[in-house]
Amino acid sequence: MNIYVRLVYRNLRANLDRISLFFELVFPLFFIFVQGFALSELVTPFDIGNGRVISYQLFLAAGAITLTVINSGTNAGTQLWYDRKNGMFEQLLMGPFTRLQYILSIILATLIIGIASSLLVFLIALPVLGGALYLSLQSVFLTGLALFLGTMFFGSFALALSVALKSSESFNIVSTFTFFIFLFTSSVFYPANKAPPVIQSVSLLNPLTYATDLLRAGLFDSMTPFISTELTLLTVETIVIFTIAVLAFRRIRV
Amino acid sequence: MEVDLASGSFAVNVKDLSKRFGDKVAVDSVSFEVKRSEVFGFLGPNGAGKTTTIKMLTTLLPPTSGQAKILGLDLRSEGKKIRQRIGVVQQQDSFDQGLNVETSMNLYGLIWDVPKQERRRRIDELIERFEMQEFRKKQVVDLSGGQRRRLQVAREFIHDMDLLFLDEPTVGLDPLARRAFLDFFKEKVKDGLTIFFTTHIIEEAEYLCDRIAVMNEGRIVEIDTPGNLKRRFGSAKAVEFRLLEGASKNLVKALSSSEVVNKLVLDELSGTYRATTSKPELVIPELYRLADKLSLHISSIYIAETTLEDAFISLVKNGSGNDSSHVHSGESYAAASPPRGSFKEAE
Repeated sequence: MNIYVRLVYRNLRANLDRISLFFELVFPLFFIFVQGFALSELVTPFDIGNGRVISYQLFLAAGAITLTVINSGTNAGTQLWYDRKNGMFEQLLMGPFTRLQYILSIILATLIIGIASSLLVFLIALPVLGGALYLSLQSVFLTGLALFLGTMFFGSFALALSVALKSSESFNIVSTFTFFIFLFTSSVFYPANKAPPVIQSVSLLNPLTYATDLLRAGLFDSMTPFISTELTLLTVETIVIFTIAVLAFRRIRV
Repeated sequence: MEVDLASGSFAVNVKDLSKRFGDKVAVDSVSFEVKRSEVFGFLGPNGAGKTTTIKMLTTLLPPTSGQAKILGLDLRSEGKKIRQRIGVVQQQDSFDQGLNVETSMNLYGLIWDVPKQERRRRIDELIERFEMQEFRKKQVVDLSGGQRRRLQVAREFIHDMDLLFLDEPTVGLDPLARRAFLDFFKEKVKDGLTIFFTTHIIEEAEYLCDRIAVMNEGRIVEIDTPGNLKRRFGSAKAVEFRLLEGASKNLVKALSSSEVVNKLVLDELSGTYRATTSKPELVIPELYRLADKLSLHISSIYIAETTLEDAFISLVKNGSGNDSSHVHSGESYAAASPPRGSFKEAE
């Protein structure tokens, strides 16, 4: 059996906390079905680009799907922390693998969790998204790319954090805090271009904004000229953070 | 020590291997060889550099300098090939949380690419051999320290290997389980496995190891068979005796002034005297002569043999180069070989 298949299966089997996974799914659904419904009466439908006018609930539903990306990303750091805490990290590094294979197996496991959770949230949110969905080869490609790059970015980010921090407690606090910053300065809850200038400039550097905008463009055909720039920026940021995570991981002291 | 790195008859060849952490030298230019199908013991006090050496030999830590070949493979350039042929039981716990014992073993076999049928067969065999039937379905996080240790050691035998590193594998085990483990290791060595073994339990090293390296402050102080180490570095013997009359100040005074006794101490609890000496054959007649003269009666007497622990402590305290001919002073002997009871210097 392929070495990655073995390691990924092991990561999924040994290091996933089912209760945490359940709540990671409940969290975005809460936004779609509670906050979305509650606020849709207050916010009038608006143009998200390319002349596409949608309700706030639909706007938020797409944001909530990318929320699963950030939640799954945290899993990468948690997997590494479980292994470090339980002594399996060193045990595996003395096994028949390379460090790169080990870190890639964590990223791959994270991708599987991220994409599977997003699909699940998407399917549950289907009654809300309903007829507003735009299905084409380009939309599937953009949606897939948004989920892939988003999970890669946040998985790598969580791994780099996990390597840098000395305890699982600090990892939990710091990752929750930084992910809140990513979340509330992104276009998940509001259109970035309508935000005050300071928040707008932070939002336009935020990879979660890019992933969310890409996903919305895919789901609702809201392509704007800025989407291709966002795709390029997200790809570059993902490569950079992934490289940092790999380099940090290779230097990790045992 | 001259080590021939080209020789294929060794499982481990190490030449001038060092590891520094900043200014601190953890391992200082060690050289040694481990023959194939040998149990090689690595003894040393805490912080001697044993675990750092193992981490280097298992490719977990890169050496600062020096060379090593593991199973004929170069440590620096053939790390993955080495790891495919070794097994490691770490000093620290290592387990997958959220799994039961059986699943944990199965998953470990899977990542080592052991075929499913073979995994199943080995799991059953190891669970029986390591007496884990009672808790085979129990969650690993709920196991006691000893049970978890059993799992950790048993798990390592699920995959094939030529060389096994055991870093204090019996910590937390009861004496019966410990002996069962050591016997299991011996069986595996007969089948061709080479074992690199560290422990703080000297009796274990003596029972299991063909040769022992004593390490202290990052350096190897001595390498030899347990028997030779005892003979060469074992400290002075002791003559232990009791009197029917209990304590006798006169005897103590007379015996303490004797040239053949280094030090005389009394275990107040058992009433046993312990006379440290390098010449027990002279102490015994002298003791009977004095007892006769003072009208005392010796109820029991025996010579306490030198132990590997004595040799180990002597080596660590005094370093290498001192052979069996050296006689420790009473002071150093008392420090080097703590008596079994609550001995106090006899007055």
